[in-house]
Amino acid sequence: MDRSIAVWVGATLALVVLIALPLGWLGWLSISGEHGATLAHYRDAFSDPALQKALWNTVVLAFWVGLVSVAIGAPLAWLTARTDVPGRGLIRGLVLASFVTPPFLGAFAWVMLAGPNAGILNTVWRSVTSAEAPLLNIFTMPGLVFVVSIYTFPYVYIMVANTLALIASDLEEAAAILGAGRLAVARTVTLPMVLPALASGFILAVLQALALFGSPAILALPAGFHTVTTQIWSLFQFPPKVEQAAAFSVPLLLATALLLDVQKRLLGRRGYAAVGGKGGQRRTIPLGRWRWPALAACLIVMSGAIFLPYGVLAKGAFSRAWAQPLSRDNFTLGNFAFTFFEYGSTRAAIVNTLELAVLTACIGAAMVALLSYVTNRRLVVGHQLVAFLVLAPVVVPGVVLAVGLFIAYTRPPFVLYGTLWILFLAYLTKEMPVGYAQADATFRAIPADLEEAGRVLGAGRLRILKEITAPLAKSGIIAAWCFIFIGVIRELSASILLFTPSTKVMSVVIFDLKEEGQFGAISVLGLVMLALTFATVALVQAALGRDVLGARR
Amino acid sequence: MPGVMLKSLAKCYGDVGALDGLSLEVKPGELLALLGPSGCGKTTTLRLVAGFLVPEAGEIWVGDRCLSSPTAVVPPERRRMAMIFQSYALWPHMTVAQNVAYGLRFKPGLVRLDRDARVREMLRVVQLAGYEMRYPGELSGGQQQRVAVARALVVEPEILLLDEPLSNLDANLREEMRFEIRRLHETFGITTLYVTHDQAEAMVISDRIAVLKAGRVAQVGPADDLYHRPRTRFVAEFIGRTNVIDGIATALDTVAHGALRLRVASGALQPGTRVTLSIRPHHVRLAAPADGGDGANTFPGTVRRAAFLGDTVDYEVGIAGSDVVIRAAAAPTPRFEVGAAVSLRIEPAACVPLGEDE
Repeated sequence: MDRSIAVWVGATLALVVLIALPLGWLGWLSISGEHGATLAHYRDAFSDPALQKALWNTVVLAFWVGLVSVAIGAPLAWLTARTDVPGRGLIRGLVLASFVTPPFLGAFAWVMLAGPNAGILNTVWRSVTSAEAPLLNIFTMPGLVFVVSIYTFPYVYIMVANTLALIASDLEEAAAILGAGRLAVARTVTLPMVLPALASGFILAVLQALALFGSPAILALPAGFHTVTTQIWSLFQFPPKVEQAAAFSVPLLLATALLLDVQKRLLGRRGYAAVGGKGGQRRTIPLGRWRWPALAACLIVMSGAIFLPYGVLAKGAFSRAWAQPLSRDNFTLGNFAFTFFEYGSTRAAIVNTLELAVLTACIGAAMVALLSYVTNRRLVVGHQLVAFLVLAPVVVPGVVLAVGLFIAYTRPPFVLYGTLWILFLAYLTKEMPVGYAQADATFRAIPADLEEAGRVLGAGRLRILKEITAPLAKSGIIAAWCFIFIGVIRELSASILLFTPSTKVMSVVIFDLKEEGQFGAISVLGLVMLALTFATVALVQAALGRDVLGARR
Repeated sequence: MPGVMLKSLAKCYGDVGALDGLSLEVKPGELLALLGPSGCGKTTTLRLVAGFLVPEAGEIWVGDRCLSSPTAVVPPERRRMAMIFQSYALWPHMTVAQNVAYGLRFKPGLVRLDRDARVREMLRVVQLAGYEMRYPGELSGGQQQRVAVARALVVEPEILLLDEPLSNLDANLREEMRFEIRRLHETFGITTLYVTHDQAEAMVISDRIAVLKAGRVAQVGPADDLYHRPRTRFVAEFIGRTNVIDGIATALDTVAHGALRLRVASGALQPGTRVTLSIRPHHVRLAAPADGGDGANTFPGTVRRAAFLGDTVDYEVGIAGSDVVIRAAAAPTPRFEVGAAVSLRIEPAACVPLGEDE
């Protein structure tokens, strides 16, 4: 018998427990009553007008975020992939920055920029026009849609840019030579080929908006409305109504699963975009006098996502009063001192975050490496099921996962609530799909015959894994490690339900600081988080030798 | 030096049967080519022998060891075999020397010094002395091929498996490597299974060829045998080009196709049965009508098409009073133009009756 089989089966069983336990408990508790199975919790949840309203708000938010993301992401993708707009590398870099920016940091920054009273943009507006009313109010549904979209459009961008990079220009030229004008080519050839990617980018954006907790909590709650995720969170506040929260989580889970299935079908047909793509050249389209206006439009979008928010965070970090102009009097390093030395929970939170991030990334990378090896080389019976399970957390919004974990690990046999371990399990589960996708791509690129060549010569499976596969997969697994690390650093939506006073993490502390109105400290912690993220991104790029967004340059 | 016995092997992929009761013997020290079109099961056979696949039925024996059966499969690393892959499968993160030395790590009782010496010696044999510290990415296709060969031979395997090893080389190099592989086989005498879809390659390299069709052995024998005495139409058409004529036996040694009567040398036909004849193009003699004589199987005809190929001219000749068109490979002189009347002669010995395809 192959000794290595124990390793594969072990990794697979760990996966099953990791996924099945919380989701199983979630489903069970949502239908369990004192006298056996019941639908009462669902009835309670969905007949409550407040919850109905939250549901509707989520639908509105998700739909508009999808549309706005397409409206921003698709033109940007076309401009950078196909035209001679100046500064394409810069634009791509900014899209990447928006992709990795924690959305709740962006939301805080926009509170500082466009809060109706003290928001800097409104202050400037008032002083210029001497108007009474604010120019912008971020605490509204349109404001929320805007802030969510500027960090969600990269999903559309990635899908569309990568597809455009696959469509060889000769497909378009073949239409042109047959008499199609520029518009006709775009309408009859390019657009239909990009459409599946566009639709699937739309769905990914919708999914992000559905699962997001931070931005709605920061912008919608002060505005007096709830979304599903904030509603689930408030059901967890004292006195916790866990069963109702579970019942309310299940539809979110199903909606996500359904949308992802639609997206997969759309992409499954994408194959035709690549037909004949090999060897085909992609020629750039000259924009002529529209080059500079196009660049200006891109930079305006990116100023909303990057320049203004980053600027206001930097300003907030270094000034005594963030809303006042930055002058010599207003400059201070006191926020750093306050954040790191005076405020009680910051240092512990930073240590917790880093510990959790390193631990999750190490164990996660090892697990996804083993599991993707298992599925790629078909080492266990039911390897398709393994691939399904490891990707399953994609359909579980962070808040829902947290509800499941809370239920599963507050009771025997595993009582982990109140320890860092429950956060570790949450992060491990949540980041598994991202890491797996990266590891899977890595192993796909290593032909099986490199391993078989070693086996015929006398090396066993595990030895081959160590001496041949591992060295070849190293950079891909490092990238998976980094993706998991970044994901953990910024995680809020599961942490917010699972933390206890002794197990706070950075994102939770930022959230606490908001309650106390400590914007200087929020800015400092935000900058720390951004610095950690960008350092890790740089590491990925070095390991992979390409940028994180995936398309060829 | 053991041989290999394949006994009624069967293997399916889902619903698709890849092998369907394949039996074959590779004699000790023999180089046997597995030849067939894509999808005939030749690579599946090789991977079964290597131990990467488990047969659904049948057994694989090497000498007196049963290596594979549906219930027990010895893993590849304990089969004492070596394999050369179509892609070469050289490890890009190891140098040439490390690649070649890899298999020697699993030979007990071999000290490092011996190992290095054997690697050096083997690299000399494949004419790559001095390339020890290079990485595979820095070598040409032909050199990579040689490294793959060295890596397989240095472990002195009992059985050597080759999976279309030359298909990634350009035409000239491929021809050179054919003779190279044959030379190495004669030097080391390792029992070898060689998978290819190229009949010329199989004929140059192998002692015997097994022609595979739909997961079974259609015919096995030396190249000469398969060429001159194909047993089925499939084999006749797969090994070299041929003319195939369907007819009915009218006597022990005569086949009729319409008005055409062909004498057959074997003389063991059953009158009244259907017979298919194979006639190789270069067994067809062409002459001017006046010089044709009137021996057996001599027919008047007309040249329909002619293509000059250098060594030979490829003709298509319509036989007068018949719908049969024969392809003939004739010497460049005398030349016949399209439309010319010719006399066409086929020796009875060149008319080979074929059996039914299974």
